[in-house]
Amino acid sequence: MNKKNLKHILSIMVDNEPGVLARVVGLFSGRGYNIESLSVSEVDSHKFLSRITVVTSGTKIIVDQIKAQLAKLIPVHNLVDITELKSFIGKELILIKLDVKNKKTFDLKKKLERLSAKILEENDLEIIVQFTGSPNEVKKIENILQPYKIIEQTRSGLVSMATGTDYIKK
Amino acid sequence: MKKITGAEIVIQTLIEEKVDVIFGYPGGAVLPIYDELFKQKKIRHILVRHEQAAVHAAEGYARSTGRIGVVLVTSGPGATNTVTGLADAMMDSVPLVCISGQVPTHMIGNDAFQEADIVGITRPCTKHNYLVKDVNILPNVIHSAFFIAKNGRPGPVLVDIPKDIQTFKAVYKGKKNTKVISYYKPNLKPNINQIDQFIKLLENSEKPIFYVGGGVINSGEVASKNLFKLIKSTGFPCTQTLMGLGAYPTSDNQCVGMLGMHGTYEANMSMYNCDLMICVGARFDDRITGKVSGFSPKSKKVHFDIDASSFNKSVNVDLTVQGDLARILQAINKKIEEKKISFKKAKIKDWWIQINKWRSKDCLKFKNSDKIIKPQHALKRLDFLTKKYNPFITTEVGQHQMWAAQFLTFNKPKHWMTSGGLGTMGYGLPAAMGVQIAHPNSLVIDVAGEASILMNIQEMSTIKQFRLPVKIFILNNQYMGMVRQWQELLHGNRLSESYMDSLPDFVKLAESFGATGLRTEKPSEIDDLIKEMIKVKGPVICDVIVDPSENCFPMIPSGSTHNQMLLGPNDKVEGEISEDGMVLV
Repeated sequence: MNKKNLKHILSIMVDNEPGVLARVVGLFSGRGYNIESLSVSEVDSHKFLSRITVVTSGTKIIVDQIKAQLAKLIPVHNLVDITELKSFIGKELILIKLDVKNKKTFDLKKKLERLSAKILEENDLEIIVQFTGSPNEVKKIENILQPYKIIEQTRSGLVSMATGTDYIKK
Repeated sequence: MKKITGAEIVIQTLIEEKVDVIFGYPGGAVLPIYDELFKQKKIRHILVRHEQAAVHAAEGYARSTGRIGVVLVTSGPGATNTVTGLADAMMDSVPLVCISGQVPTHMIGNDAFQEADIVGITRPCTKHNYLVKDVNILPNVIHSAFFIAKNGRPGPVLVDIPKDIQTFKAVYKGKKNTKVISYYKPNLKPNINQIDQFIKLLENSEKPIFYVGGGVINSGEVASKNLFKLIKSTGFPCTQTLMGLGAYPTSDNQCVGMLGMHGTYEANMSMYNCDLMICVGARFDDRITGKVSGFSPKSKKVHFDIDASSFNKSVNVDLTVQGDLARILQAINKKIEEKKISFKKAKIKDWWIQINKWRSKDCLKFKNSDKIIKPQHALKRLDFLTKKYNPFITTEVGQHQMWAAQFLTFNKPKHWMTSGGLGTMGYGLPAAMGVQIAHPNSLVIDVAGEASILMNIQEMSTIKQFRLPVKIFILNNQYMGMVRQWQELLHGNRLSESYMDSLPDFVKLAESFGATGLRTEKPSEIDDLIKEMIKVKGPVICDVIVDPSENCFPMIPSGSTHNQMLLGPNDKVEGEISEDGMVLV
């Protein structure tokens, strides 16, 4: 039996009704499961469906139990363990505000361009950078920008999708 | 079409769901519904004296009939008082619909008078819950609630209805024309390949055992009948969980009794030594398994259940079959007939010889006395003298509950109502009321302890009002017996707060509610007391003063395995109970 703690990305299609996120999150906290990241938004405004992406970790037994418990929630239509599929894409978005008061920004902007990070806001005081990428790429950007004075940053949860025909049904 | 108020919709939908009785307590936020209730004659309302009791009564009603129990309470404290009952129903998979009033929609979130976020509070202890904010979908919500409560693994569903929604008007087109607004579609049909795999295991086994749980009872009589057929055709032994008692007749020779912490020696030893464990609608609960790492180490395990999340939750199994147990068992029986498999008794002969050796230990034996009533003896006499009435038994929680499970006979499903998962003291009396409402002419007995019974004793008033002839059989040892037993075993006999001081005079208490009170402390009087209890037409409280020092055996101490049972007070735990064991409940 697989005893290793592995990361799993669960994509959950749910009825977009009040309290649905509380049900999912409450299940994790109530049963002592781990949430590493979470993102949720409506994806079908006709059928009122939302898609929740949860990154969790655990042994196979625990992750199987998490999936079975999630599947039991009444508003859950379908769920897929994306990490178990052949190949998938996972992306995050990060916004970073840098203090550039009295600083030269030429090198910084060159760097950002090479990394295909976007500058959303630029003035004498600050630069706001947007970057989208895999969790590792996002971490890399954070490291590269460490030498600059970071005022604040915010990061979305992971959103993920399988390639090919392994799509999540509604 | 004519528009009717939300309150009328509630009553109409309940009538369409064939609800004949609801248990409840009125209050400000449900007055419109109570007003509609007043105007009709199809639904009977049983006024309880505490909302927790309404839920337990509905549980008793549901578990003894297989129907859905319905509860109606007001907002705030009315709703929060139901929480223990809902959690109890959730743990024991009892189908309930609980309707609660709520402050009007525009006041929600305002900390209004008698406001509580009951949908938030009950989210983890209901199968599903709703807050209805649009009167137009109220019919859909109520019919969905009934659908969800009963289908798949049953459970409680709460519908929270703000007061303004109860007065707003909408069209109700009847159940047939109202869509269930849920995607919920539990799979009932078993996978036939898995059934084939199971048959192979069945044929090759030399030391099999059926481990039967409450799921069989929830699935219904067809499941029980098919289980009986299967166990008889295989000749295999069968053990039952606390919830499963009655799913298979406990007086049958192939039944080796209840298993688990206070199960029989033969049941637990069979579980420990078997080579094939067939779990039918049970969930490997910690009271059953003991120490998981030492649980039935040599067996292949098969698990049948309607709830896929029960698979591999605490114990890894080799084969799982998801579906309705009635269908699974039917499919197995059909396969056995088709393939003309005959189970040779010779193959499992040695196994039965071994089991009978364990049986001969007579693990439920106790030293009777002619001076003081032994609780086990009282229950043996209760069983003997009431058997012919085919009684419904409810219990509270503690030693008396375990003794009742050990010493009473359960030959039919739905005749045994006890709080198994949550272990709710105070369950038995209100549950007995619900059972009696459903079976007005049957003998309904609440086997109780003097501590538990006081937790919902106010229901004597309900019993008086509705003239319910419930019999309460208190085994009075003046202790919270199970607490004391654990303190003796684990805490150096320091009996912290487990003595029941200042008990009421139960005879006078009965009389003050217009019931009959009987009391005895002499073993020679126990038969007469029970006969008198049966003879009395109305409610009876029997105060049976029993040996205060008696403990419940056999027992698997916490953190131990099935083969490490204590058989009696002179058995000592091998070595110290481990720290791991100490922290277990």
